[in-house]
Amino acid sequence: MAWEGSLSRGTGTATATSSGSFELPIDLPSRIADQPGKTSPEELLAAAHAGCYSTSLAGEIARAGGTVERLDVTCTITLDEVEGQGHRIVASELDVRARAEGLDEAGLEQVARTADEGCTFSALIRASASVSVRAELEST
Amino acid sequence: MAAERRASVTWKGDLLSGSGTIDEVGSGAFGPLDVSWAARTEEASGGKTSPEELIAAAHASCFSMALSHGLAQAGNAPERLQTSAAVTFVPGTGITKVALTVRGVVPGLDDAGFRAAAEDAKENCPVSQALGAVPEITVDAALA
Repeated sequence: MAWEGSLSRGTGTATATSSGSFELPIDLPSRIADQPGKTSPEELLAAAHAGCYSTSLAGEIARAGGTVERLDVTCTITLDEVEGQGHRIVASELDVRARAEGLDEAGLEQVARTADEGCTFSALIRASASVSVRAELEST
Repeated sequence: MAAERRASVTWKGDLLSGSGTIDEVGSGAFGPLDVSWAARTEEASGGKTSPEELIAAAHASCFSMALSHGLAQAGNAPERLQTSAAVTFVPGTGITKVALTVRGVVPGLDDAGFRAAAEDAKENCPVSQALGAVPEITVDAALA
């Protein structure tokens, strides 16, 4: 991550040095206002949480005897001002649509919960944020 | 004012042999990016990212903004901050450590002042707070 200049007018670039997978522009307005084309720490965390939860859920469905065809996971992270603490990450919401064989709605609800408990990132972010999961089955 | 940030992932197949794609993010700044279990746990992940690499990018950028702000408020606006974050993931245990390293070009500030500002940013940036359950978060700070 390279940052040049002040917080409000400066800009940064986040580079994935371990995989070389991305190089992204970042600045303050991208965190607190909607700014197309520029990412933010919270958007990167949303991608991390959606990715972490997807792998966790894929593992749990297999463990429950199901077969994953496709999982669509959307994560929404909320940054808000908390009185006396400044800006804090207060919520992460996961929305899941699953196509899997050998699993009914009740079974999915169960594994969706277990996957949340087993997801590294869910466990971490609960230090400052609430985590919620909504899961539904799509017919295959 | 609350700000919401969104990302969507598609996963196909089981954990070990399947793979996923970060299809899109709300800003459109990136995606699609490939993710896989191997990219999380093995070296040389061949262009595939992982949740831990994204967390590293999030933490490095959040810390940089907090440090930039703290320095400027104390009258020492930085010219440039170069930050890296190394996230350690142990399968079965989770994320055990985040190591931040920052080199700064800050006119009018000595090393001790820079280190103190970096410690403060590490304690208080929103991503550090959100990752408060990580057993060890360190910062190595020096003027460039």
